[in-house]
Amino acid sequence: MSFKDQMDFISQHLKKNKLRVFMTVLAATMGCAFLIVLASVGFGLHKTLTDEMLDNQLINEVQIYGKEDESPVTAEDQQKMREMENVNAVVSRSFVEGVTSIAMEDRTGYGDVQLTNLEEEEKANLALSEGTMPTKPNEIVIGYHFAQNLLTEEEMNAQSDEEVPTGYTKSMVGKKITIELTPLAEENNEPKTWEFVVSGVSKAPSKDWMMDQRVLIDESHRTEFLSFTQPDVPVEESYIGVYVYADGLQNVKGITDSLKAEGYHVYSVTEEMETMDLFFTVLKAGLLFVGTIAVLISSIGIFNTMTMAVTERTREIGVMKAIGANPKLIQRLFLMESIWIGVIGTAIAVALSYAISYLANWLIPVIVLNIMEADGMEDMAITISTIPWQLVVIASVISIGVAMVSGWRPARKATKIDVIQALRQEL
Amino acid sequence: MIHIQDVTHTFSIGKKGKEKRVPVLKNVSIDINKGEIVSIVGKSGSGKSTLLHVLAGFMRPESGSIKVLNKETASLSESEHAEFRLNNFGFIFQNFQLMPGLTAFENIELPLKLKGVAKSERRVNVEALIQKVGLSAVADHYPNELSGGQQQRVSIARALVSNPPIILADEPTGSLDSETEHEILHLIQSLNQSLGITFVIITHDDEVANIAHRKYRLHDGALVNGGTLHVV
Repeated sequence: MSFKDQMDFISQHLKKNKLRVFMTVLAATMGCAFLIVLASVGFGLHKTLTDEMLDNQLINEVQIYGKEDESPVTAEDQQKMREMENVNAVVSRSFVEGVTSIAMEDRTGYGDVQLTNLEEEEKANLALSEGTMPTKPNEIVIGYHFAQNLLTEEEMNAQSDEEVPTGYTKSMVGKKITIELTPLAEENNEPKTWEFVVSGVSKAPSKDWMMDQRVLIDESHRTEFLSFTQPDVPVEESYIGVYVYADGLQNVKGITDSLKAEGYHVYSVTEEMETMDLFFTVLKAGLLFVGTIAVLISSIGIFNTMTMAVTERTREIGVMKAIGANPKLIQRLFLMESIWIGVIGTAIAVALSYAISYLANWLIPVIVLNIMEADGMEDMAITISTIPWQLVVIASVISIGVAMVSGWRPARKATKIDVIQALRQEL
Repeated sequence: MIHIQDVTHTFSIGKKGKEKRVPVLKNVSIDINKGEIVSIVGKSGSGKSTLLHVLAGFMRPESGSIKVLNKETASLSESEHAEFRLNNFGFIFQNFQLMPGLTAFENIELPLKLKGVAKSERRVNVEALIQKVGLSAVADHYPNELSGGQQQRVSIARALVSNPPIILADEPTGSLDSETEHEILHLIQSLNQSLGITFVIITHDDEVANIAHRKYRLHDGALVNGGTLHVV
């Protein structure tokens, strides 16, 4: 019997019991949709947290906190790191403490003053919204939001919760700023000032809520600054944050592992993601397991439908066998019928799950944010549910597999039907 | 063509553990030649239907040999028997045994579908047969829309459609009125003459048995004559 004739045969039987078949397909659909939607929450939350993590950090950055032998990370070490495979840049940043004020014209403010290698910063990702990278030792780059902190005395006095001053709104490029430092040592607290010219302003951060108030000064001033603010600490022993930048996210793990092997204390986004991935893998497996129970419950429906179909069609099966149908063909026809129910149920479930997922992603964040009255979270992309193709494949295999298994016993029963007994059945 | 030799079969009846063994066929030997109509007659319980079931392969005899077209069929597996039936036997049943969900055309077509014959070829064969058995007007009717005689014609056409050399008929007119019975018997005779098909007819009705070239009579599972030649 050709495959098409087998399919015609099955569809004829399915049409005869439309309501029963519909209810069975519905049960299979509900079971499979429950499985997909449930697991999609695990995938969705995983995606939300991963995206948040990647958005909030420089994903190709590997931070070095020091060495296992507690010796400082030297310039020589940094040079070796630069020579490593897939390393784009190595930046060493010293954070200047004791900043009393930063002034420009009649405005004063604060900032996050860092001494760094600006050439390496540029290679690492530092992009400018205006101006150019410094070419002279007294030129600096400021963060995108730095100018907002520069306020006149009048603006400072007028500050209130309702109205936040906008600070300096004109271009900062070419402006002179004065940085006043006070040493941390108690016995000498005479402040000293340095003058710099702004050559460039960094690009706005990726998130609205992120503030970039950096003041990036070339590392040639490091000795001068650090020996003034911390005269008791030798410059070479002062804390330097070293950051290694990979040329792509895929290489971060390799670089992290190499640096660890070489005895550095390191942290990268992949470290955190590995732990998170493990947690979510376990969570997703658990959700799939719970969802599979729903599919198994729905399979009882398929089993019942197929058992009833075999019982109802005993005489027809007997006639088929009498005129020469192979028992294997009879088994295949019934098995195909239960698979058909599984396939249709799964197909509808997949479409339904995507619709539910879309609705959940649209509706739930709106409701939650409204209930919590959370300000400033509008731009936070919350994904409640995600259905990757792998989930569709897993759910389809489980659902169709369960349909096959539940149809197998009735199909076997059909092949065992005794022709003589079947032919004796009344119409 | 059909050589049944010393076939014996016993049924076990009654509760498990207290079964009673009842012999239904006792050393039955029959030879049937190509192109013959052979009737097997007997009262109810004489074993004639059991003989047909054993011949068709619906059950395996306890002992004895059954050769059909020089092939020993008593030892075939269920699947092999199914294939053998599909290629060599056509069946006509007392209560027609048509598929209620299929039209007359589709019922007749069924053995060809099982054989995997192409749709176009099936259409030609079935249409030719439908004409031959006089069912053109009701080809698209379902069995419950047909009279008893029409249903039996569909059943005969289904038995013939794959050109089997042998047709086994179990009380072919048992559910029909006498007028329709004559029509069906006439059809069987004409098919036998025109196509040379061998018919084995099981019946308790002497009138039906009389269309056969030879008649065997069974009584309590044993043959009481050796195939009386009957002049049709």
